[in-house]
Amino acid sequence: MIVSRWITRPLKTRMRAGMEWFEDRTGATELLHKGLYEAVPKKGGWAYALGSATLALILLQLFSGIFLLLDYVPSVSDAFNSLDYLRSSDGFGAWVRGLHLWGSYMLIFMIGLHMLRTFLSASYKRPRELNWVSGAVLFFLVLGLAITGAMLPWDQAAYWTTVVVTNIPHYLPFIGNGIRTLWRGGDFVGPITLTRTFAIHIWVLPFLLFSFIGAHLYLLRRHGEFGAWVNYDTDPGEDEEKQIGERIRRAEPPYPTKRIERRYAAPTETVPFFPNQLFKDVALSTGLIAFIFVMGLISGAPLDGQADPATLTYVPTPEWFFLPLDQFLVVAPTNPLIAIGVFGVLGIGAALLLFLPFIDRSSERRPLRRPEVIIPALFMVFTVVFFAVLGINRLYNL
Amino acid sequence: VKQLTRREALIRGTGLGMGLVGLMLSVPAVGFLLSPLFTKQRLSWVTVGPIDNVPVNQPTALFADVPVGTGYPTPPVKRVVYVVKRPTGEIKALSNICTHMQCDVHWDATLGNFLCPCHGGLYDIDGNNVGGPPPQPLAQWKHRFSTDAQGRTVLEIENQLDESI
Repeated sequence: MIVSRWITRPLKTRMRAGMEWFEDRTGATELLHKGLYEAVPKKGGWAYALGSATLALILLQLFSGIFLLLDYVPSVSDAFNSLDYLRSSDGFGAWVRGLHLWGSYMLIFMIGLHMLRTFLSASYKRPRELNWVSGAVLFFLVLGLAITGAMLPWDQAAYWTTVVVTNIPHYLPFIGNGIRTLWRGGDFVGPITLTRTFAIHIWVLPFLLFSFIGAHLYLLRRHGEFGAWVNYDTDPGEDEEKQIGERIRRAEPPYPTKRIERRYAAPTETVPFFPNQLFKDVALSTGLIAFIFVMGLISGAPLDGQADPATLTYVPTPEWFFLPLDQFLVVAPTNPLIAIGVFGVLGIGAALLLFLPFIDRSSERRPLRRPEVIIPALFMVFTVVFFAVLGINRLYNL
Repeated sequence: VKQLTRREALIRGTGLGMGLVGLMLSVPAVGFLLSPLFTKQRLSWVTVGPIDNVPVNQPTALFADVPVGTGYPTPPVKRVVYVVKRPTGEIKALSNICTHMQCDVHWDATLGNFLCPCHGGLYDIDGNNVGGPPPQPLAQWKHRFSTDAQGRTVLEIENQLDESI
């Protein structure tokens, strides 16, 4: 009875009735609206697109990574052969592998830019400390994914990366040898090394990564996008307190931000996330993915000869993003100070990065008025670049 | 003694149940995770070959297919044994595994040193670390000598190093 009445109605009416039914049962449109129409600061939207570009590239890695599993075999005897097959006989597979490699390069690059802009605009300050902490954890997880991913092809480059990287933990006092044995599955790199690294790369790190992305996005929506100091200027001609009060009163969700200085509770001007910010997000991501799309095809991903533990001529070189760390291994004082050099210095660096919001607690947001944090940070960035240059010089004799 | 309310009993029961599940799952899982710590490497001897022709004071790379001895069975892996004969008659079977980060070192005749390509580690002819970051001398393979039917001295190694690096 009811079905026959529904069928006799015009198609448009039926469609609308169907949509209403679905909305009534799921609330999907309401959720979508809530997601799309939040206010974001008006000025500096291109800089805020860096975060969404990072997310887009992570999703690209998930996508291309799943497809690589159509071919890849995590076994010391077959890993190389499965990828060599792609190179020689499956152009599309080789392209997907190119996407995954170039995607990882761009991802690391974009995370760096995203962190840099968050640092310069002091967006990590109260109450957004945990946005920064979760972001720093994401940065470390991506580095972990990059280094474990570099081990999987089991060609020469991958094999020697595996040997060196799995050897680093053994310089830790007391537990170091145990960690190396657990990762390698024995004293030497062997079949278990690859299956364990594969499990870490495919399940453990991505699971953690997406959990932290969830937390990162939830916190972003909870406090709202901070933007930068340009969004909180007041008109010098008029009463400042009155202007701030006015914009807090007019603020749209998620503003006004709670537990923050009144001045920074609500941006002077906001725009809806959709379409204003989303357009910039999509434009940047599209450009990046187009670049990866092209580089994945024309440059692709290299594959050395098969892993050869008995080589006398192969010179292992680290991936570019681990060059500073590799150079650090050269200059770190020899045993037993390697432990202190490598784990002490790097540990302190990582702790400073992770806990930045609890170190820099002033209310100042302008980069030029925060020399006490900007100068040490620039010094650290300079050191990392300097080590990278030293490493390039050592390995390539430029 | 305070009487347990129904609500409290339910909360405790839920916690107990979840704790039990966690315990049950973590015993096999953690044991599996840690198994390389208490699984012994399968040791075996392999023949490297006759070494009578190795010149004195000239480290010579010989190759052997060495079983990995860990994890599921896999084909043996080609490894390098640097045979070093000294005028004193001493014969060493050095591994070419750098003691810094375990890259493959090679004998550089012009330098008169073993050189590691990764971070520039240097070792002298006896395997002593003499430059760069390596913290200790090159390890020797566990080795022994035998005599074959033609009366030549044959080097055999076990798939483990003499000292841990």
